[in-house]
Order: sequence, then C-alpha cells, then structure tokens
Amino acid sequence: MRTRKLTALALFTALALAIYSVENLLPPVVPLPGIKLGLANIITLLALHLYGARDAALILLARILLSTLLFGQAMSLLYSLSGGLLCFVSMTLASRLLHRHFPELTSILGGISHNIGQILAALLITAVPGVLVYLPYLLISGIVTGFFTGLCARFALRHLRRLLPPG
Amino acid sequence: MNTLSKRACLLAGGLTALLAVCVSVLWLRQRGAQNAATYTAYIYQNGRLLHSISLDQVTETYRFTVDAAGGGYNIVEVSPTGISIAEADCPDQICVLQGRVSDSLLPITCLPHRLVIELNPQVPAPTGSSPDAIVY
Repeated sequence: MRTRKLTALALFTALALAIYSVENLLPPVVPLPGIKLGLANIITLLALHLYGARDAALILLARILLSTLLFGQAMSLLYSLSGGLLCFVSMTLASRLLHRHFPELTSILGGISHNIGQILAALLITAVPGVLVYLPYLLISGIVTGFFTGLCARFALRHLRRLLPPG
Repeated sequence: MNTLSKRACLLAGGLTALLAVCVSVLWLRQRGAQNAATYTAYIYQNGRLLHSISLDQVTETYRFTVDAAGGGYNIVEVSPTGISIAEADCPDQICVLQGRVSDSLLPITCLPHRLVIELNPQVPAPTGSSPDAIVY
C-alpha cells in the first residue's frame, strides 16, 4: 500500500468516526428504533467508489470498532455489525453491477439492507414477532436516507476523483 | 441505451415499486385500523410476557418500573387511553420519545432493554355462553 493511499484511508476513517459521533449527538429524527440518517455511510460509499471493496471494508471495520470503543456498548456493536455487514455486502455488489457510476442507487440498496439487518437482529433479540410491523417504516426511511447520502457521495466524488487518483 | 443505464433504470424502477408497496401497506394499515373499543397491553421482556393489562379496567393513571436483566429500568405509564414509557435509562431514549401509544399500529420497543409493549384490540368475551339477542 502506497503511503499516499494509506494516508487517504486513514483520513477517511477519521472522517467517518467524526461524522458518526456528531450524528449520535443529534436527536433521533423519527422516534422509531432503527431509523437514522446514516451519514457515516457517505464515507463508506466514497471509499467503495474510489478504491474498491477491500479498502472500504477496512475503513468500515475500523470505524465500527473505534466507535464502539469510544462511545458504545457491546450490544450496539452487535446491531452495527449485523446491519453494517449486510449493508456493505449489498453495496459492494451494487457498485460492481453499476460499475461505480450510481452512488445514489448503491446507497439506497445499502440503506434498505442495513434496516433489514437491524430488524432481523431486533427480532432475534426481543423474540417478539410484532416488531416486524416496523419493516415498512424502516424500508421507506432506508430509501429516503439512502438517496440523500448517495447524493452527498456523488457531489463529493466529483471533486475527489480529481484530487485522489486511484492506486 | 447501453447495458449500464439499463441496469440502473431497472434498479431504480424496482426501488420505486418497493417504495410504492411500502407506502400503500402503511396507508392500508392506517385505514384498516378501526378504533377498537378497548385494547389490551402486552408487555414483553426477552420475548417473555411480563404483564397483560386491559386498558378498560384502568381507571386512574399509574406507573410501574420494569427492571432490565443487565441493569437499567423502564418506567411504564398506564392510563385508560393508552400506554407509554415515561422514563428510562437506555442510551437512545427512543422508547420515551415515542410517547403514548393508544392503538395497535406500532408497538413501543426499547431494544437496549429488550422490552416490547404491544397493544392489541381486546377480543370480546366468547359469545357461545350468552345469546346474541333475545326476542320476546
């Protein structure tokens, strides 16, 4: 790994952590479990589109571990990992399918899978099938927030592709 | 149209369809939820039913505390018209922010404490024992 790229990845990790912690300070937009903006996903999207799946996975893992270490409980690690992993896998597949050209669509797919992963984790943890009622709300919120973070990534990519040549 | 934009269009179409399905499901649920006369509140912790409270037998608002397994608490407020979590020491406070629930559309969930409160329309007493109508 070239020093230039290593520095860029470290910077992305720090940015993701900062965005994640600031978002944690905001009050929930809609008081339903699992609904959040997911702004830190912008960084994962950027890394995925600039560098590819392996490096994006490194950033995501570093962010989840560091944020759990800094402000989390063990429980939220489980949620973050189950949602984050599912989200990451589907975003990788989507960005490959779309040749890294449509960050909005990739991000929406990620948002939906993140929320599906969370509802599955919630189902396992609470063992009450009634929590499935949240699913349509979570899907809608995943689509809306995913589109928004995807747009952010598109505008950032326009400049970053010039600043950070791949490699 | 090249394959790439075809794929993107297909995906966007699928996502729009999903959005439409979700919105219509919510709309149908909202419309279909006729106001039942009374509800029973079911309070689950770790999937185990802790309490069931028929709201029509509640005359006065009262509170009680549910202790979570790993430390922590939720204070549940029961009133004749609904149920809410008045106070909790969970980190996200989502259960408190959700406020009072007075229909069966959405349960209250406190994921950190594995607590779920559901309202279900009360099933009328079985009619087998009493006649539907008596004509003299």
